[in-house]
Amino acid sequence: MRLDWDGWYLDGETAARRRARLTLGPGGLEIAPADAATCAWPYAEIEQRQGHYAGEQVRLERRGGAGAAVLVDHEFVAALRRVAPADAARFHDPAVRSRRIALTVLAAVASLGMAAAGYVWVIPGFAAVAADHVPVRWEERLGASVTQDYASSRRECADPIRRQPLEELLAAVTAPIEGAAYRFRLTVVDDKTVNAFAAPGGYIIVLRGLLDETDTPEQLAGVLAHEVQHVLHRHTTRLLFEQTSTGLLMSLMAGDPGGTVAFAPQAARVLGLLRYSRTHEEEADVDGLRLLQTGGIDPRGMAEFFEKVQKRVGTEPSLFQYVSTHPKTAQRIERLRELAAGGTRARRVLLPLVDWRRAREVCTVGR
Amino acid sequence: MSVSADVYVPGEVTLPAEDGLFALPPPLEPGASASPETHRPTFHGEGGTLLGIQIVNVFLTFATFGVYWFWGKVRVRSYLCSQTELEGDRFAYHGTGKELLLGWLKVAPMLFGGYFLLTHAKLLGGGRTWRFGAIGASYALFLVFVPFAQVQALRYRLSRTSWRGIRFSFRGSPLAFVRLYVVGTLLDLLTLMLYSPIYATRRQAFLTTNTWCGDRRFDFDGDGRELIRSYLRSLALTVPTLGLSWFFYLAAKQRYFWNHTTVGGARFHSTLTADAYLSLKLGNLVLRLFTLGFGWPWVTVRNARFAVAYLSLVGALDGAGIRQDARDASATGEGLAGLLDGAGFDLG
Repeated sequence: MRLDWDGWYLDGETAARRRARLTLGPGGLEIAPADAATCAWPYAEIEQRQGHYAGEQVRLERRGGAGAAVLVDHEFVAALRRVAPADAARFHDPAVRSRRIALTVLAAVASLGMAAAGYVWVIPGFAAVAADHVPVRWEERLGASVTQDYASSRRECADPIRRQPLEELLAAVTAPIEGAAYRFRLTVVDDKTVNAFAAPGGYIIVLRGLLDETDTPEQLAGVLAHEVQHVLHRHTTRLLFEQTSTGLLMSLMAGDPGGTVAFAPQAARVLGLLRYSRTHEEEADVDGLRLLQTGGIDPRGMAEFFEKVQKRVGTEPSLFQYVSTHPKTAQRIERLRELAAGGTRARRVLLPLVDWRRAREVCTVGR
Repeated sequence: MSVSADVYVPGEVTLPAEDGLFALPPPLEPGASASPETHRPTFHGEGGTLLGIQIVNVFLTFATFGVYWFWGKVRVRSYLCSQTELEGDRFAYHGTGKELLLGWLKVAPMLFGGYFLLTHAKLLGGGRTWRFGAIGASYALFLVFVPFAQVQALRYRLSRTSWRGIRFSFRGSPLAFVRLYVVGTLLDLLTLMLYSPIYATRRQAFLTTNTWCGDRRFDFDGDGRELIRSYLRSLALTVPTLGLSWFFYLAAKQRYFWNHTTVGGARFHSTLTADAYLSLKLGNLVLRLFTLGFGWPWVTVRNARFAVAYLSLVGALDGAGIRQDARDASATGEGLAGLLDGAGFDLG
């Protein structure tokens, strides 16, 4: 093997560069610069500073050597690795590139894994915790801006006289809630789609299409009771946290409620499309039904209405969005029916003096 | 803040003009062949290699919850430094990821504390006077903080850079620079920015004359008066040229700065032109826009090549006469400047 090489020597004291004879000796690197004293560096103290990339000058320094360095080429480094196998790991071997590539691939896979884990566990987990702890006032503000944003692109049916029966209905449904933290507000929107949903903070939105499908006040009461439970359990708040960007969470953590406002349009867009998990749906169904029973309202209307839209959806799937946002199975409807039958409370008649078929026409103008 | 001129500094991507002193000099000058003592720096880096480094950095940063970021930064700086050559020797970067991390850790509490105070200032109560006072105070603080951080970052970076084993150093007092900066900014405002060229030259002079390579100090002999005309012309033509006239001023400023910088018996010489500068910027813009950020390595390499392409150092470069005289510097200054990076200020 070739042991004598030419290189350059920098003494670390001046910026002069000297030619040097480099010898790979038994105990270390012997350096014989032109016009300067010879020195020897033990292999164990030599470190490679540069020369990890193609075409780069290779620079070897002595640990604690105060800037002294030798400049060599890659062939010299290969020889150095062979002469000092114990220290070879510190000297760049172009063959090791593949190891670095493997490391990169590994890091890429790990990154993807972490991103997936973040998506599957961290964000929902955080959303759940955050949703349970945000103040009601904050939810109300979000709900108000989301509702306003949602209704603004459509016509809101706000005639107070026509709305009167619905307000009474909502009051009857929510009356039994104890220590109500929320003030429930109903917004009716002139849209033929059959759907209803809850925004955070007590805002409930019912579309005209759904009103038209209800045959009795009890059926609408069932829908309202269900949405009220979504509010009380903060299901919507949690879903919005999960489904929209983390930007909202950020602004929340930073104590910047202004972020909420910017967030509203985005939330409004997804509001009509949110799909609750099965657990949330069942929770809202069962607790909604109990709420009706507690208030003395006939709970059979709820199951009736679910069953009805379930049957009707086949005729016009795009119209009956309620079915896709509130998925029910025949089994669950049956269960609701059983629960409803088991109630013992005395029933009261809802809106006894009102003709429901006329009362539900909240959005009709004039007449 | 002054306009960033994309002056290449080994180890960094873009820098405000005043930090540019650092891009060690190269030579040029048509007909310079007459003088045997013309030295030109060269940049050998490739966008592809830099992209490779960057990809690894991104993944490792992600996989380590961000901790690797500091080590990644060091890798990029080392690469850029070692690809820059003067007189057959590459520059070297000696900073470490650990240093950067520690520097950041020292400074981070200030950032979060400051941000918390700002966002919760209303909790402290107080009337309108108090609030306006607080806002004024934060502007004042900022005015002091920017130059301070800039100098400290420069001090750190220079101390970690070497050529032929000789370390660079910055020995200016941060307070002197803060004073210059505050007074200059106020004068600039009072004169409706007409003071700008002089002010920029003063900053450049301060930064240059406090930069050392070993025991050799850089010198600066301009006062900026010659720049005023170019400045006024660019200003007057701003509207008809849709702002492009500023490239004339920026190029003139760079040329002026370099041409008045000397080290030892050698003087820098720049032949930078406005159209070259404009085409660099336009090319970079296109690269950024059409590659969704993946063009970053090429933008960096273009900037680095550009920085040395028009530069030369004319005169004797007496290597044996430059003696080692390193000064230590902590990475805290780097951390401070990092805060500004995070806040969107490009201090380099």
